[in-house]
Amino acid sequence: MADTKIAAYICRGCGLGERLSTGQLAKIAEKEGKAAIVREHDFLCSEAGVQLIRDDIEKQGATHVAIAACSRRAKTEAFHFPTVAVSRANLREGVIWCQPDTDAAREATQEMADDYVRMACDELKRMKVPAGNPDAARLRRLLVVGGGVSGMTAALEASKAGYAVTIVEKSGALGGWAAKLWKRTPAHEPFREPADTGVAALVAAVEADPNITVRLASVIARTSGAPGRFSVDIAAESGATATEAFGAIVQATGFTPYDAAKLPELGFGRSPNVVDQAGLEALARAAAAKGGPIRRPSDGGEVKTVVFVQCAGQRDDSGRHLPYCSGHCCATSIKQAMYFKDANPAVDTVVLYTDLRVPGNGEDFYRSGQSKGVVFSKGQVSAVEPSGDACTVRFRDLILDEDTAIENADLVVLATGQVPNAGVDIDQVPQDEPGQWRPDSRSVLNLAYRQGKDLPLLRHGFSDSHFICFPYETRRTGIYTAGPVRRPMDIAQAVEDATGAALKAIQAIENAAAGRAAHPRSGDLSFPIVRLEGCTQCKRCTVECPFGAIDEDEKRYPVFNESRCRRCGTCMGACPVRVIAFENYSVDTVGAQLKAVEIPDEFAEKPRILVLACENDAYPALDMAGMQRRVYSAFVRVIPVRCLGSVNTIWISDALNRGYDGVMLMGCKHGDDYQCHFVKGSELANYRMSKIDDTLKQMALETERVASYEVAITDIERLPRLIDEYAAKIGEIGLSPLKGFG
Amino acid sequence: MPGDAGMGDMADLNERALAKYRNDFLREVEERVDEGHWVKMCMQCGVCAGSCPFGPHWEHSPPKIFLMIRAGKREAVLTSDSMWMCTSCYNCVVRCPRKLPITTIMHGLATYAQRLGLAPKVQPTRDFSIIFWENFTRTGRANEMRLMLRLWFKEGFAAGVKKALSMRDLGLAMLRTKRMSPLEILGGHGVKDVKGFQAMIRKAKEIEDRRRGLSG
Amino acid sequence: MTPSVATSQTILVVGGGISGMTAALEAAECGKQVVLVEKSATLGGRTATLYRYFPKLCHPTCGLEINLRRIKASRNIRVMTLAEVTKIAGSRGGYTVTLKIAPRYVNANCTACGACAEAVSAEIPNPWDYGLGRMKAAYLPHTMAYPQRYVIDPAIVGTAEGEKAKAACRYGAIDLGMREETLELEAGAIVWATGWKPYDAAKIQPYGYGRFPNVITSVEFERLADPHGPTGGKLLRPSDGKEAKNVAFVQCAGSRDENHLRHCSRICCMASLKQTQYVREAFAEDARSTVYYIDIRAIDRFEDFYAKVRKDATVTFVKSKVARIAEDAATRDPILHGVDTEGYRRYANRHDLVVLAIGMEPSVKAADIPADVVADSSGFIDAGAESAVFGAGCATNALDVNRAVQSATAATLRAIQVVNRAARAEA
Repeated sequence: MADTKIAAYICRGCGLGERLSTGQLAKIAEKEGKAAIVREHDFLCSEAGVQLIRDDIEKQGATHVAIAACSRRAKTEAFHFPTVAVSRANLREGVIWCQPDTDAAREATQEMADDYVRMACDELKRMKVPAGNPDAARLRRLLVVGGGVSGMTAALEASKAGYAVTIVEKSGALGGWAAKLWKRTPAHEPFREPADTGVAALVAAVEADPNITVRLASVIARTSGAPGRFSVDIAAESGATATEAFGAIVQATGFTPYDAAKLPELGFGRSPNVVDQAGLEALARAAAAKGGPIRRPSDGGEVKTVVFVQCAGQRDDSGRHLPYCSGHCCATSIKQAMYFKDANPAVDTVVLYTDLRVPGNGEDFYRSGQSKGVVFSKGQVSAVEPSGDACTVRFRDLILDEDTAIENADLVVLATGQVPNAGVDIDQVPQDEPGQWRPDSRSVLNLAYRQGKDLPLLRHGFSDSHFICFPYETRRTGIYTAGPVRRPMDIAQAVEDATGAALKAIQAIENAAAGRAAHPRSGDLSFPIVRLEGCTQCKRCTVECPFGAIDEDEKRYPVFNESRCRRCGTCMGACPVRVIAFENYSVDTVGAQLKAVEIPDEFAEKPRILVLACENDAYPALDMAGMQRRVYSAFVRVIPVRCLGSVNTIWISDALNRGYDGVMLMGCKHGDDYQCHFVKGSELANYRMSKIDDTLKQMALETERVASYEVAITDIERLPRLIDEYAAKIGEIGLSPLKGFG
Repeated sequence: MPGDAGMGDMADLNERALAKYRNDFLREVEERVDEGHWVKMCMQCGVCAGSCPFGPHWEHSPPKIFLMIRAGKREAVLTSDSMWMCTSCYNCVVRCPRKLPITTIMHGLATYAQRLGLAPKVQPTRDFSIIFWENFTRTGRANEMRLMLRLWFKEGFAAGVKKALSMRDLGLAMLRTKRMSPLEILGGHGVKDVKGFQAMIRKAKEIEDRRRGLSG
Repeated sequence: MTPSVATSQTILVVGGGISGMTAALEAAECGKQVVLVEKSATLGGRTATLYRYFPKLCHPTCGLEINLRRIKASRNIRVMTLAEVTKIAGSRGGYTVTLKIAPRYVNANCTACGACAEAVSAEIPNPWDYGLGRMKAAYLPHTMAYPQRYVIDPAIVGTAEGEKAKAACRYGAIDLGMREETLELEAGAIVWATGWKPYDAAKIQPYGYGRFPNVITSVEFERLADPHGPTGGKLLRPSDGKEAKNVAFVQCAGSRDENHLRHCSRICCMASLKQTQYVREAFAEDARSTVYYIDIRAIDRFEDFYAKVRKDATVTFVKSKVARIAEDAATRDPILHGVDTEGYRRYANRHDLVVLAIGMEPSVKAADIPADVVADSSGFIDAGAESAVFGAGCATNALDVNRAVQSATAATLRAIQVVNRAARAEA
């Protein structure tokens, strides 16, 4: 760091000049912070102020810039200097706005500001401008796994944007489930009639596209690498295997209909006249091929009455069948009932449902079904009893509130659900040991990743994806799922989904080429650098990485794959020997900050509380508390962390050894409804902290000296309260006995 | 229409309808009841039943009637007095999210039930309808005086006097304002060509019956 | 956010809600130049006014924070607020778009210090609270507002209050002489993401919205539940500030109704199920929620949430479209009348508060978009036009957040296809 030149800027605007001695801050930056350039400014974010900084960088050779002004969340664009390392001392939201403007409070407020300036300067000394990923690669070819509507759509849409695509399809033909349908539900106005599936046109477009290569009767035997440089073994049924390179992957492996044989009480398997929705499509296609009406399977007799049983083996709370709703089945049954009504209005068609679920314009399709004479009854089917060529469907009529039955049903159609083709559950099927890796025929991707062969699964076996704000974010960067493998869905939604997934795959390629992180730290050029000579091969980083970014070599050393990494720092938090670091975020950058804080001696009666706050939720909440001028204890010193998962316990023991009186950890909610942007970060931190009590006992400290909190970004009113309560508790248990030893 | 078909004729009509539609009551309603083809569009939201000012007096509310029709409960529907409760306020029609002409369907069902001889024998709305029909088809004009008297005295002399006394203020007011003439009791005025009028009614009924498959 | 010169390779995104922000970010993070225009003074859109999302009950501002951070970090996005598209000329690959930009009366010097708001005493109804609360006429729309820059309401421009605001600003940020501006920019493709608005509840006359203070809409209920809302997050009913412990949720308020909106708005069932949990959160076992519904449309994985709420003893379900709402004149309690169609039982139920699960309609009807788009019968954008104006999010359909984001991501690729083709043609 021979050429480090720190420049520190102290803003006097927004009341900072009135509330604080900025001269004292400048002195601290110079003396303690070793800043070569120190300037105070009345309005630092103004054009003139920003130009001042820019000039110092360009003309004075400043390499590290400390900005002591507002929060890093404010004026972000103004204080954007990508060529130098930048640290922001949050004096506005984090000091003067959360402290009372009183004479009594002045000293403690100044001390806060002093410390934040010290912290910013000391952090800078350990920071470097990220140099970028040396392994950045840019293969502009996408792999799409699955040749159904989702897969073909993803391929065509990516091709239209100028990217080459290879589709690998397990069966001998493109088309997937949609090719087995006679018609589909309509996706456009007037939403009244069953529509052509469009599969033939899709297949023709794929086959005509010179940008798209199709490999039929093939599966993925192995996938290794990372975005921008995936290496994939494609194994053909014939036995031949080809290794190809791809920039990103879309997994569109679709679904399998729930096995209706598990529903004998609904007559399946007991009469050929009881079919599932897929079976009815087959009957409709066969009938259309012959040019006649759909006949009764058992004897080819005329069909006069058809009963559709909704939610067959779905929305089940007994634990025997699917607990979820597959979303499309109500509309599908309406469509199938229309097959009969359109051919012969005299055929009776009854749909037995508990909630009819046709959102959006599906309501028009429902109306159309009704106007064609399809009868809808709110009823819970208890049994389908085949007898000869007819079936009796027994159900509870929920409206008339009576047990009743439809006798002489010629056909009964069970609306069973979608079961995702998501490969193996990596929580159940452990990955092979390095060097002994073998493909698994049940796997879709056969990832050679340390953490398992397929994408992690969510509840009910669907492939991982963020559930609300960021639906495409999986825990395997560069691999995006689309279609019913991700969530139950119909064709219209699968088309949208596949188009979106193709965009994300393209973006992964572009990000990898530039060495940029993907969401949520989009654009971050830093990546974990490991000092392997210090590594003890404990494997915690490879096991804990929420994104499966780290593999192991045969000697069990970690192998980092930068473009798979999301820069959360969980590996860094996990590493017991602290050999993992980012150029702009490391054990040292945070360690230096917490050590920069001046710890008053035990007679000063001024406790110091370290707050490690997740930068995604807790830190913004504290910021907004400041914006609302909510006051909290002046004894806290807040350090934002990328994720609570990146918190290395050394920070806590260092802090306590230095005489901090308490440490508050603020992270996101974990568990099933986790709110951690890095999925597992806050959970892992919680697990690690559950063991901190032992450390505290060894240090002869009270267990209260370290406290963890689940915090949401909306806790603007709660956080100041938590801090004050904690400060009060520290007051009760007394100052740390370790002061003065650190 | 009420009153002009003998009991035998009605029973016969009913049997023929049963034979023709077997258990498909919905189709029967669609073909034979005014606006009956709307019945299938009901989605059982219940807003009509809730909107009806007479709601509490219906044994089966409109959505239930629609559902009973779809469930083939022919006898229960046609013998019910529920449809006769409709006062044509149209609250249900303006609220129905599927725009079903519920009022018309209710009257259609009542009329059909009456036609088949299945309508309840003691039902004030039905009684009034019959009295009114007979009253005005006689001369082609409604005769308020006779209509009123027949209604009041249909349950006996004492009941009629009681009813008349209870409503005397209204009656006197109507007389005063010439809304009603006591001379009407003598027969009152009619249309010029009463015979022609009655022939017209007969013809209309014939056409209507043919259209609904009720004739012969 | 950085100024950029728009060209035929620029993607214009109209609407700064979750869909528009998503489209802008996804395009920018693919390396494309984006102009993001928003009609109001801040990005964030309607989701920024929600307290929690279903089914995780997490907070919309959590995702908003990430999206705003991505926008702040991106050099490829130019954000223009208070801007409306008035004209689109040209065709696929080469559009000239006219924007009308309303004056904010505050320039880029603003540090969001809040001195202007402190100086001003005039108040206006807070549009982000649907007028349930009031705010200063010099304001930051909300704590997550972006750009983080105050706004002077036109109502105080030219008044002494306006001058007070100006005098209070030490950074020369207040410019009361700002005028509406018109500007033109080039774009190769346009993503139209203007979102939805709640159906006008007053049109459902028998529900008494606007006449009975204790009948509110689901979007207003979100504001009551939000700690930053007009009641500080307390579920207090409007008439008398009494705690609303017994709450009715009326489904299909406007939706699935040919007299109002013919489509199903998809989100309302889930929103009400979620809101029952707000009542529970506030009053624990004393909470009483009643959901009046036709069909509970808890589609696909949302079924889990429905199953969870069904097990909640404080929540009751009544299969009924509520016929009418009356008000007890003495207590101002709303009384719901209707028939439970499961068994056809008539009810007259008294509640503390009624929440109408209000339907969604497009903010801008497709027919009113100054471009070649195809409208469906509800005014949403249907795919199919030849133009490069691509609908995204709730401008295309009644969608939940997850599906809106999916839709926006798909629309982004369609836009990129157009500009990439233009780029290849120029190369």
